[in-house]
Amino acid sequence: MTASGSERRAARRMRRRSRLPTILGVAGLVIVGALVFTAVLAPWLAPYDPTDRIARPFLPPSAEHLLGTNDVGHDLLSEIIYGSRVSLLVGLVAATVALLIGTSVGVVAGYYPKRLGSTLMRGVDVILILPFLPLLIVLAAYLGRSLLNTILVIGLLIWAEPARIIRSQVLSLRSREYVLAARSMGAPDRWTILRHIVPRTALLATGSFVRAVSGAILLEAALSFLGLGDPIQKSWGSTLYWAQTRGAFLTPAWKWWVLPPGLLIMLASLGFALIAFSLEERINPRL
Amino acid sequence: MAQYSVVVVVAVTLNFLLPRLMPGNPLALIAGVDVGMLTPDQRADIVARVGLDAPLWLQYFRYWGDIFTGDFGFSFRSSRPIVDMIWERIPWTLLITGLSLVVSAVVGVLLGALSAWRRGTKGDLSMLSGMISVESLPSFWLGMVLISLFAVQWGLLPSFGAVTPASDLEGWAHVWDIISHAIMPVAALSIVGTPGVYMTMRYSMLETLGEDYIRTARAKGAGERRVLFGHVARNTIAPVITVLAIRLGFAFGGTVIIETVFSYPGLGRLVFEAVAGRDYPVMQAAFLVFTAAVLVANLLADLLYPLIDPRTRTS
Repeated sequence: MTASGSERRAARRMRRRSRLPTILGVAGLVIVGALVFTAVLAPWLAPYDPTDRIARPFLPPSAEHLLGTNDVGHDLLSEIIYGSRVSLLVGLVAATVALLIGTSVGVVAGYYPKRLGSTLMRGVDVILILPFLPLLIVLAAYLGRSLLNTILVIGLLIWAEPARIIRSQVLSLRSREYVLAARSMGAPDRWTILRHIVPRTALLATGSFVRAVSGAILLEAALSFLGLGDPIQKSWGSTLYWAQTRGAFLTPAWKWWVLPPGLLIMLASLGFALIAFSLEERINPRL
Repeated sequence: MAQYSVVVVVAVTLNFLLPRLMPGNPLALIAGVDVGMLTPDQRADIVARVGLDAPLWLQYFRYWGDIFTGDFGFSFRSSRPIVDMIWERIPWTLLITGLSLVVSAVVGVLLGALSAWRRGTKGDLSMLSGMISVESLPSFWLGMVLISLFAVQWGLLPSFGAVTPASDLEGWAHVWDIISHAIMPVAALSIVGTPGVYMTMRYSMLETLGEDYIRTARAKGAGERRVLFGHVARNTIAPVITVLAIRLGFAFGGTVIIETVFSYPGLGRLVFEAVAGRDYPVMQAAFLVFTAAVLVANLLADLLYPLIDPRTRTS
C-alpha cells in the first residue's frame, strides 16, 4: 500500500517537474511579448514626449502625470515607456554580438580541438577570470558614453560563456557518424561545419542568446545607473541615476520615481531568463 | 599557475594600452591635463615628464617596473599617492564582501540542499522560481529601495557611509556604529549573491543523488540521515566550495555598484569616484587590485580543492 502510494507521489512529482519549464517559459514569453509591444508602440502609448518639459519639476502623481515628473519636469511615465526601447535594443544587439563571437570561437575551438582549439579556450578562460564588472566599467569609461559603445562593451565581454557551451557541443558532434561520413567523402571543413555542425548547435545557441539578453539588460541598467550610459537616451538605468543624484530615494518620491523603473528592469531581465531556463531544461533536463 | 600569469599580463597590458589607444589625445588620459589650455612648451614638458615621448616598448617596460615597485602614481584629483588611497579603502570592502559571502554561502547551500533533497515538490519548485527571480534583481535598485524603507521611511538604519561622520564614538558605540552602517550593504550583497550559490548547490547535489554509490548506500539499508550526511553532503560540498572561492573574487568587483548606492568608502566606491571624476590612474590601479583579488581567490580554490576532495589529489 505504502509502496504504491509513494509511487503515485513520485509520478505526480515527475509530472510537475516536466510541467514547470513550460509554465515558466510561457510566463517569460508573455513578459517579453509585453515588453516588445511597449517598445514598438512607445510613441502611441506614452502620454507625452519624454524629452519635453511639460510641467513643473518634482510633481507627485496626478491624473495628468500618473507617475509625476522628474527633476527637470519630464513626465516620468512617458520616460519609463520609452526606456523599454533602450533596454530591449541594448539587450538584443549586445547578445547578438556576443553570440556571433561566441559561436564562431566555440565552433572553431570545438572542430579543431588540438592546437588552435586549446589556444582559443585558454583565451576564453582568461576572459572569464578577469574581474568582470570593473573591466566593463573601465572600458565604458575610456570609450565614452554612447549607445553603440554600451552595446559593444557588453557584447565584447559576455561571449566567453556561450563560446564554452557551444564548443562542448561541437566537440561531441564532430565525432558523430554523419560528420565522419561527410569528412571521409572528402567534404571540405567549411562545408562540414556549415552544413552539419552549425545547424545542430542552433538550439543551444538560442538558449545562450536568450540568457545573454537577460544579462545584457541588467548590465546596461548598471552602466546607465553609474552614469556611463548614453546621456541622450532615456533608459531605466538613467532614470534611476537621476533619482539617485537628485536624492529622490530620500523623499516620498521613491514610490513613483525609484520603484517602477527598477521593477521593469527586473521584469525584462526575468522574462528572458525564464525563456532561457525553459530552453535549457528542454535541451538538458537537470531538474 | 601559467594561466594566472597570463591573466596578470593581460590585465596589465590592457591597462597600459587602453589610454594610449583611445581616440583623442592620450595626454589627457595619462597626465590628466587640459591639453587645449597649454602652450606647446608646457605640453612638451609634461610629455617628457610622464615619459610619453619614449618609444612604446620602453614605456611598457617602465610601466611594469612601476607595478613591481608598487608605484601606481598619483591621483589627478587629490594628488595623493594612489597606493595610500587604495590601502585605506580595502578594509571596508573586505568587511562587507566577507560578511555577505558568509551569509549567501550559508543560505544558498542550505536552501540548495533542501531543494535538491525534496526535488520536484512544491517547495523545491517555488524556491527555484524565487531564486531565478532574485537573479534578475538589479543590485543598485535593491540598495535604493532598502535605503528608502529602512533609513528614510522607518529611520532604523543610517543611509550612507561606513561610520557616522564627525562623531567620536568609543568602544561598543563605535562598533555598533560600524555594524549599523554595514547592515544594508551586506544585506543587498547577500541577497544578490545567494541565487548563484543556491543553483550550484542544487545542481551539484542533484548530480550526486543520481550517482551509483548513493543507490548502493540506500540499497544496503542506510538511513536517510546517513545517506544525506555521510554520502551526499561530502561529495557535493567540494565543487560548491570552489564556486564560493571564485565568487569571492567577483564579489569584490560587484561592490562597485553597492558601495556607490550606499556611499560606502570601499574600493568599489573609489572606482566610481575615479570614473565620475575622470581620474584614470586611480581607476586603473583599482582594476589591477580587483584582478589580483580574483586571482588570489582562484588560487585559494585550487589549493583547497584537493584537501576537500581526495579524488582530485594527484600523487
